[in-house]
Amino acid sequence: MGKLAAWIDERTAWRTGARSWIDHPVIGGAPWASALCTSVVACFGVLALTGVLLMTAYAPSPQSAWASVFYVEYVLSRGWIIRGLHYWAAQSLFVLAALHIAHGAIASSYRKPREVAWWLTLAVLGLAVAEGITGGLLPWDQRGWWARVVEGNIVGLAPGLGGWLQAMLLGGSELGALGLTRMHALHVAVLPLLFAVLLLARRSIVKRHGWTAGGTEVPHGRELARSTVVAAVVVVALFALTGWAHGAPLESPADPLSDYPARPEWFLMPLYELRKVFSHGPAAEFMGTSLVPAAVAGYFALLPWVDRAGRPRALTVFAPLFAVAIGAAALAGVAWNKDAHDRQYLKSRADADRVAAAAVQLAMQGVAPAGALDMVRNDPELRGRSLFVAHCASCHVLGDLGDPKKATASKLDHWGTTEWIAAMIHDPDAPEFFGLGPYNTKMPSVDVRPKDKPAGEPWTPMVKSDAEKAAVAAFLASQGDEPGDPPRATDAATLAQGEKIVSDRCTTCHLYKGDGDLESSGIAPELAHYGSIAWTRSQVANPSTDQTYRDQALDPAMKKHMPRFDKDLSAADVDIVARWTRAHGRGQTLP
Amino acid sequence: MPEGPKTDRRGALQVIAVTGGVVGAGALALPAARFVVAPAAGGAGGGRWIKTVALEALKEGEPKRVALVADHKDAWTLEKQVELGAVWLLREGDAVKAWSVVCPHLGCAVDRSGTGPGFYCPCHDSSFDPAGRRLSGPSPRDLDALATRVEDGVVVVEFQRFRQGTPDKTPMG
Repeated sequence: MGKLAAWIDERTAWRTGARSWIDHPVIGGAPWASALCTSVVACFGVLALTGVLLMTAYAPSPQSAWASVFYVEYVLSRGWIIRGLHYWAAQSLFVLAALHIAHGAIASSYRKPREVAWWLTLAVLGLAVAEGITGGLLPWDQRGWWARVVEGNIVGLAPGLGGWLQAMLLGGSELGALGLTRMHALHVAVLPLLFAVLLLARRSIVKRHGWTAGGTEVPHGRELARSTVVAAVVVVALFALTGWAHGAPLESPADPLSDYPARPEWFLMPLYELRKVFSHGPAAEFMGTSLVPAAVAGYFALLPWVDRAGRPRALTVFAPLFAVAIGAAALAGVAWNKDAHDRQYLKSRADADRVAAAAVQLAMQGVAPAGALDMVRNDPELRGRSLFVAHCASCHVLGDLGDPKKATASKLDHWGTTEWIAAMIHDPDAPEFFGLGPYNTKMPSVDVRPKDKPAGEPWTPMVKSDAEKAAVAAFLASQGDEPGDPPRATDAATLAQGEKIVSDRCTTCHLYKGDGDLESSGIAPELAHYGSIAWTRSQVANPSTDQTYRDQALDPAMKKHMPRFDKDLSAADVDIVARWTRAHGRGQTLP
Repeated sequence: MPEGPKTDRRGALQVIAVTGGVVGAGALALPAARFVVAPAAGGAGGGRWIKTVALEALKEGEPKRVALVADHKDAWTLEKQVELGAVWLLREGDAVKAWSVVCPHLGCAVDRSGTGPGFYCPCHDSSFDPAGRRLSGPSPRDLDALATRVEDGVVVVEFQRFRQGTPDKTPMG
């Protein structure tokens, strides 16, 4: 080993190089500044290493980005650790760079001859923000996508070149495939290269002048030992954060059609709130979101000249520094507090989390080449729910969907089950059955004497006992899911009794297998396969086909009647919403 | 050694180095700049007429959010018949009003208001009345109305995107 090292040394003089690197004199002193600097560099190192590792599994296209990040986070061995370290190093880099600047301002690190090092330190924070913004898009999830859309539009507000700049960043007028590849190129090549050059340049200036005035020369080796300890502490802390959060967050795949309550990254929350102060017109908004932060950065960049002998530092340095720090914290606090008490926001947030969890479950089976959004959009369970919300929940209630106060149709929990039918035929006009809709008072109870029947007039209930009522309910509820399917229940005697009652006594008004309705009222529905998937599908597509209800079902005189959906939903969507509604009425989910 | 010729030679070397650098870098820079700028050069394209739902599926006075299904091209990807946008439709007799769901402020999706009869943007709290007029919040203009017509009982909408954040409605390509 020694021989090999000597052989290489003879040809490269690496020993001399290493020795001069360790022994070269640096200006010591300002331990906090150098510890903060080392922490920033350590984070950058972790980001570079984990970044390259992530690149071995990441595929930047709208179809594959989310799926590949999901794969890293949930499937690849130790993937969550690598991604978690990358994510937490990025967050920490931002905090540490800000602290570094604050310390520099307090310790007068900007004074001659350190102005350039001071500007480079400010630029570190700027690059950290740029890396955070570009990196946040790469998972192509809801949070990153929507935040970039909004930020792109804010760039577009800039007078003159705004629109062009926005199109340059997004790769066109919409955030699509080229926006992702551009952000990716910036994130993994352009910005890190700038970052590295900047750190090296800063290093060589500090080697020459030290962090603050008054330091004495020490050999680099002494500083190096301390730096290594600091870096190790940073790495351990990043592992702790990763373990605590178990990786990094991943929301559901970006969906441009969703009602997502977009919020920026946490370090941009102060600007998010500040924007509201400047909300009177696009020019003002551009000021709040771009010129104010630019002015703050400019002020700190000019500190070497602002802080002059004779001017009190309390006014030139400390007051602005604390104003920015406290102002930013207060603005972010106001924004978070408002969201925490905003019911509509919390509801959309909960919806987003629900879809995110479902997307991860779905992706466990693998994502088709059409991509993760396609997977989420066409999953029967998720699609059924969103179809129900969009088309059914304005009148019906099912579980936590639909507003009971605005409902004008039956509640669909347990709809079509034995219990539901037994309760419904006893009291059809109850609000959870037909009481709120056009069929109110149209169906008599099977066992309660009608109120409008004059006393003394003879009246026979349609079922003579609770057993008969139970038989009717059991028979109706246990018919097959599709025509021709065998009944689901096995008690043949009860089913036969129920069917006999239905075909003998209900067909005065109803149809059963196409026969009945002796009074030609044209209102009561077909009872064969009532509540089955086939019946539901037919009802959703068109309630007036005689398969369920009849021509009167769409009569304008029937106020608030159920509309037909076969003209605005595809047959596949009608099938999904029918299956979903029926499954969820029974407390099940779709496979 | 005499001074003159050495200075001359240095000057000549400088000229050669600078010329070489400019020619080499320039030859690379021109196509590189064109390459980077190209995707940003989107013209002001017109709208696309897209069939949506049956007129009878819309209830008078109740806005309905409808997805627009058509072919979607994104750089090298062509997706056949996907949901590429959405509109709010409001029936008024035999005519239909349509608004883009994209908030004219900064581009989030506008939802029905949870508290009133109109529309609301969940990102920066812009609110609009049921006719799409701006009520409060930072939006610089009303919701973007889209042209509609009814063909054989089906509502057809001219789908179009507009620049966000400006008081006037500027179509985007």
